[in-house]
Amino acid sequence: MPKITLNGKSIEVADGITIIEAYKQLDEPIAHYCWHPGLTIAGVCRLCVVEIEGNPRLQIACNTVVQDGMVVNNNSEKVKTAVKWGLDFHLINHPLDCPICDQAGECELQNQYMEFGKYDPEMAEHKVKKRKVVDLGERIVLDTERCILCSRCVRFTNEVSKTNELGIFNRGDRSEVGTFEDKPLNNKYSVNTVDICPVGALTSKDFRFRQRVWYLKDKPSICTGCSTGCSVNVYYNEEGIFRLKPRFNKDVNGYWMCDEGRDIYKHINKENRMVRGRYKKDGAWCSTLPLETAKKAGEKLRTYSADQIAVLVTGQYTNEELDVFVNYAVNKLGTKNIFHWKNNPDGWNEFDGLLLRGDKNPNSKGLQKVLQKHTVGGEWKDLVNQIDKFKAVVVAGPENLQAYPDLKEKIGTLARLECVVWATADDNIAFEGLMDFTYLIPQKTSVEKSGHFTNYNGLEQKVDVVTTLLSDSLNLEETVELLVGESVDMSQREKEDMHVMKKNYFTTERGRL
Amino acid sequence: MFKLSDEGINFVKKELARYETKRSAIIPCLYRVQKENDGWVSPESVSYLSELMELPEAWINEVLNFYTMFNKKPVGKLHVQVCNNISCCMLGARELTDHLCKTFNVKPEEISEDGKITISKVECLGSCDTAPMMQINDDYHENLTPGSAEKIIKGMLNGN
Repeated sequence: MPKITLNGKSIEVADGITIIEAYKQLDEPIAHYCWHPGLTIAGVCRLCVVEIEGNPRLQIACNTVVQDGMVVNNNSEKVKTAVKWGLDFHLINHPLDCPICDQAGECELQNQYMEFGKYDPEMAEHKVKKRKVVDLGERIVLDTERCILCSRCVRFTNEVSKTNELGIFNRGDRSEVGTFEDKPLNNKYSVNTVDICPVGALTSKDFRFRQRVWYLKDKPSICTGCSTGCSVNVYYNEEGIFRLKPRFNKDVNGYWMCDEGRDIYKHINKENRMVRGRYKKDGAWCSTLPLETAKKAGEKLRTYSADQIAVLVTGQYTNEELDVFVNYAVNKLGTKNIFHWKNNPDGWNEFDGLLLRGDKNPNSKGLQKVLQKHTVGGEWKDLVNQIDKFKAVVVAGPENLQAYPDLKEKIGTLARLECVVWATADDNIAFEGLMDFTYLIPQKTSVEKSGHFTNYNGLEQKVDVVTTLLSDSLNLEETVELLVGESVDMSQREKEDMHVMKKNYFTTERGRL
Repeated sequence: MFKLSDEGINFVKKELARYETKRSAIIPCLYRVQKENDGWVSPESVSYLSELMELPEAWINEVLNFYTMFNKKPVGKLHVQVCNNISCCMLGARELTDHLCKTFNVKPEEISEDGKITISKVECLGSCDTAPMMQINDDYHENLTPGSAEKIIKGMLNGN
C-alpha cells in the first residue's frame, strides 16, 4: 500500500489507483471535467493538473498512478494558474447563455469556475457558432455550442450501453459531439448521458424548462420500476416530483439507471393518482375519504365466508406491508386463496445484461418470501381456474399501472365476481369496467412511505418517506386493518404528513428568497 | 443504394485482417469507397461500410469528418485541388484559383453545371518546392501559371 502526501496531508491508498482517486478519498477539491469514476480515462480536459515533487512538468491526476512516497499538491500558484487558463480555454467558444440554460445551478462549468476560475477573461475573439437544439430522439436534446468535448457521453455509449451512437465529428474549434446524421439516441440508458454531461449540452426533454434545479430538493430512494431496485435520488418540491437520478450503489446499479425507471415519478404525481376513495352503488360511482371507503369495503367483505374470498397481491409493496397484509388475510379473513399477480409471467426472468429486468415490481422476492412463510400462493391462472368458487376478491394492486399492460383484460375477468376491493395508488380508465360493490382504496406510493424492498438478488433495501403528495391515502397495512374491522388512528399520521409537507414548503420557499 | 464492387469488398476484408483493431482499417476503406462512389463519401455509403466492417457508423463518421481528403459532398469528374498554403499563395495560388474558377465558370468547392469539374482550395499538399501546384484527382501538377493550369485542365476535359 503506497503512502503519499497530497497537499501536505499524508494518506495510505490502495495499489494502482490514480492521483485523482486519492484526492477524492481525501475529499480535497480538484478541478476536473472529463474524468468520471464509472468510465475509462480520457485525459482531455487537462484541468486536474497537479504538481508532483521531482517532476519538472505538471501532470494530470486522472491518468497518473500513485507511487510510494509521492508528494503531490494542487494548491501551488503554478497549478492554480494552469487551471485558470485551462478553464479560460474551455470557455473560448462556450456561449454565455446560463440564464436560459437548463443546466444552470448544477453545471460543472459554473461550479468549477466559481472555485478555480480566472474571473478576468482575456479572450476577445468571436465565439464559433455551432448548432443548437438538435433533436436526438425521444429523450434528449443536444446543444453543440455548450459542449466542452469532455467525451464522457461518447465513452458512456461505447463502454456502458455499448450502443456506440455518439462520436466527436470535425476537428479543431469546429469539433462537435453528435450522432451519425443526427440519428436518434434511443438506447435504453440514454438519459445517463444527460446526467454525466458536465454542461448543458445534453439535456433531458422530459425535464428541461420544467423547473430550476435550485427550487428542487432531493432525497435518496429506490427505483420501483423493476426488480433490480436501483438506488436513486428523487427530486421534488411542493408541486410534486420532477425527476429521478441514479445514486451510486456499487452493489446494484453502479452510477447508472435505465430510462424506463426515470419515468416512474409520473405515476406518483397527483395528476395520475386516485385522490378520493370510490365505490360503486346501483351503477353509479360515489366518492368518499379513503378511510371511509376501506371501512365500507370491510363491512361488505365480512358478509362473505372465508372460502368465498380470494386475495390477489402484487410485489409492489414493502416487506412490512406485505407481512401484515398476508398475515391478516390468512389469519383474520381466514382465506388460503392468495394469488401472486405477475406483470408478465412469460418474460418474468428477462434481463438485458445491464440493469433492466422483465419483472417490473420492486419487491417480488419479498412477496414470495412472505407467501412461503404462510405456505400460500398461486398464480393468476390458478385464480382463473377456480374463479366460480369465489364471490369476492381483495386486490393489492400495482402502484405502477403502466407496468401491467393487460390491466383491462384482468379487470374484465375480476368483474365477474360479486365484490371487488381494490387497493390502488393510480387511477385508470379501466376501473370503470368494474361492477357494483367495487371499492377502490387510494394507496400511498413508494416515495410516501418507509419500509424495505427486496430486490431480485435478495438484497433488502430501505426506503424512507421522501415527500407526501396525498396525505389521506392509506398504506396497505392500514387498508387491511380496516378491511378486517380494526380501527386505525389517522390523527397521528396526519400530523406527521403535515409536518413533512410543511417542511417541503419551507425549503422551496427559502429557495425563492 | 451504394455497394462496393466484389474487388472492393475483398479489399475491405483484407484491410480488416491487416490491423490489430478494426478501427485502424477505416481510412483505407474510406478511400476505397470514395474511389468507387464518384469521388465522394455519401452518408449511405457510410452506413453500408459500417455494416460491412461491423463498426458503428459514428466511429466511421468521426474519421470521415476529421480528414479533409475525404469529400463529404459530390465532386465533378475532375477534382482540382489547388494548394492555398503559404508557399503557393506567395507565388500566386489565390489568383490562380480565381482564374480557374472564372475560366471554367464554377464557384470554389462547388460542382460545375455539367458535373465535369470541381475546383477547391486545400491546405498544404507538401509540394512547396514546386509551388504553385494543384492536384487533379490522384496526380500532382507543379510549377503552374494560370495559363499552363488552364491548358492542363482543358486537355483533360477534352480527353474525357
